[in-house]
Amino acid sequence: MTIRLEHIWKSFGAVEVLKDIDLELPERQFITLVGPSGCGKTTLLRILAGLESATRGVIWHGDTRVSDLAPGKRDVAMVFQSYALYPHMNVRANMAYGLKVRGTPRAEIDARVLEVARVLEIEHLLGRKPRELSGGQRQRVALGRAMVRKPWLFLLDEPLSNLDAKLRVTMRAELKRLHMRLETTTVYVTHDQLEAMTMSDRIAVMDHGVVQQYATPAEVYNRPANAFVAGFIGSPPMNFVPGAAVAGGEVALDCGPDGRIAIALARRAHGFSGAALLGVRPQDLEVLSEPRASAVPATATLIQLVGSEKLVDLAFGTAGRLTAQVKADAAVEAGNRVWVGFDPARLHLFEPASGRNLALG
Amino acid sequence: MSPLGALRQVVAYLVLLVVTFVICFPLLWALSTSLKAPKDVMATPPRLLPPQPTLENYRNLVTGKQQYFRADQSYVPTTAAPQHFTSWFANSVVVSLGSTAISILISTLAAYSVTRFRYWGRRIVPYFSLLGYMVPSIILVFPLFLVMTELRLTNSLWSLTFGYVSITLPFCMWLLWAFFRSIPIELEEAAMMDGASRLRVFIDIVLPSAAPGIIAAAIFSLIVSWNDFLFARVFINSIENLPLTVGVMHFFEGTHVDWGLMMASAVLMTLPMAILFMLMQRHLVAGFGAGAVKG
Repeated sequence: MTIRLEHIWKSFGAVEVLKDIDLELPERQFITLVGPSGCGKTTLLRILAGLESATRGVIWHGDTRVSDLAPGKRDVAMVFQSYALYPHMNVRANMAYGLKVRGTPRAEIDARVLEVARVLEIEHLLGRKPRELSGGQRQRVALGRAMVRKPWLFLLDEPLSNLDAKLRVTMRAELKRLHMRLETTTVYVTHDQLEAMTMSDRIAVMDHGVVQQYATPAEVYNRPANAFVAGFIGSPPMNFVPGAAVAGGEVALDCGPDGRIAIALARRAHGFSGAALLGVRPQDLEVLSEPRASAVPATATLIQLVGSEKLVDLAFGTAGRLTAQVKADAAVEAGNRVWVGFDPARLHLFEPASGRNLALG
Repeated sequence: MSPLGALRQVVAYLVLLVVTFVICFPLLWALSTSLKAPKDVMATPPRLLPPQPTLENYRNLVTGKQQYFRADQSYVPTTAAPQHFTSWFANSVVVSLGSTAISILISTLAAYSVTRFRYWGRRIVPYFSLLGYMVPSIILVFPLFLVMTELRLTNSLWSLTFGYVSITLPFCMWLLWAFFRSIPIELEEAAMMDGASRLRVFIDIVLPSAAPGIIAAAIFSLIVSWNDFLFARVFINSIENLPLTVGVMHFFEGTHVDWGLMMASAVLMTLPMAILFMLMQRHLVAGFGAGAVKG
């Protein structure tokens, strides 16, 4: 059954943390709430869990109004950032606790704990206390404790943030596999846009208590609703060039002594003309050693090698700055005079004041 | 090890040895005297080791045998009353355990309340309670005596139990308040998500996590009530209702002081606390440590 959040508002005193959140979470999907710290994503998750109550608004699970139910009555399970394993209970007791509280027969508890422990490969840890486990093992136990209850909704609050970089990549894939296997609707909170992109069916990008865009990862990446989403999703982050002039299907960049260079737009900006914020991803820039039509002359100021690719910081015009991501073997050195080629199909134009994506109307 | 380092260690151990001796000597002397026969107690020169060790004093205390002393040519019964020793001991046990149980029950709930619920004044309650603890007992004892008189509780063990609660409760609450604050709230939230009620969360999750703090608070409370002299001296006026501390004083008597009985009582009085201390030492350190650092 679909979960619907209708006009959720939340304020702590005078501070409004969530403003009119309207979301539909389709059944069996993996939905990620992503945004910078303080954007309200964890508060929204806690409202879903029932640990906070919304100041206004309703949550529906199918036809059931769940926003009035206590956390324990909602039958949703949550994995906390700190895992919150009960320190005085061993792994088995930690996993069994929710079932025990609900009065599940002993034999069934044992069977379900064992089944989940097998899936998560933590059978050998069942007798241990949380303090005897590594970070990754605690993570699995926390997941196991949530899975054992077979809830209709999983809530995961930055569950990978306490793991080291390598383990995080492994667990990311494992979480995704688990979700494919269990097919339980999952809401995942993270500030890491890469986690959001790689794991989700749908992403809700949040900022200042507002959902800026709610769409599939590809949509969010390729057609960002506004400059915030464009800048937040993607790594390295999108380049923004302020003061680009849009007129007659062209965008003109002020390149200082090199004059104005016009680039034909592949996507129409819905008849917009005037000053705009130009956005272009580092992957969509070409660094050329020879001039070309519509290419912007620039100077490479810094090269950073990141394995198979390198990041080239470029200066153009009087104060223009761009970062391009090119192949590691590209012949460009710091201090080189280069030309930057733009792919007209991959340009984004935003309204300077609101940040709205002009191509989306 | 360098010669300087070795010297430093030797000096350190010497200092420790002296300090240990100073602390332990009265205890050793009490133990030694309690094992001496009456004629050896006041012997000159005094001897640390009893020449003929005997358990007579302990036997007299436990059996409550009437004591006599020699005056002129006859034996006169002493007014010292070993026959009450067992009831004093029992009184001390009952009052200490009773006041500790009440203190721990109330302070645990109170400390949980001020750390987890939001209401006016919850921030100042712990500090206020500590303030109460800072007032010397001598200032509390007379107003409390008047209260006990009004309640018709004087000369009963209840007066002592409540009196001790008035000292130990504030401190226990303050200690546990610091302790509860160090328990992550996520643990309770996780249990609530698991379907547990607030009470169940408290019993299943909070109490076990706070166990070191609760043990520390309980030991503190036991020691305070076990060792109290002042309240018992003021509140109790019949000899059979006394706790050990004041009861033992009756071995001092106008004409005669029975040092052997006194020292045997002192040893028996110290023993339960010493054993408890040894058993619980680990928890005590953890409890005070957590309260001090994380609180």
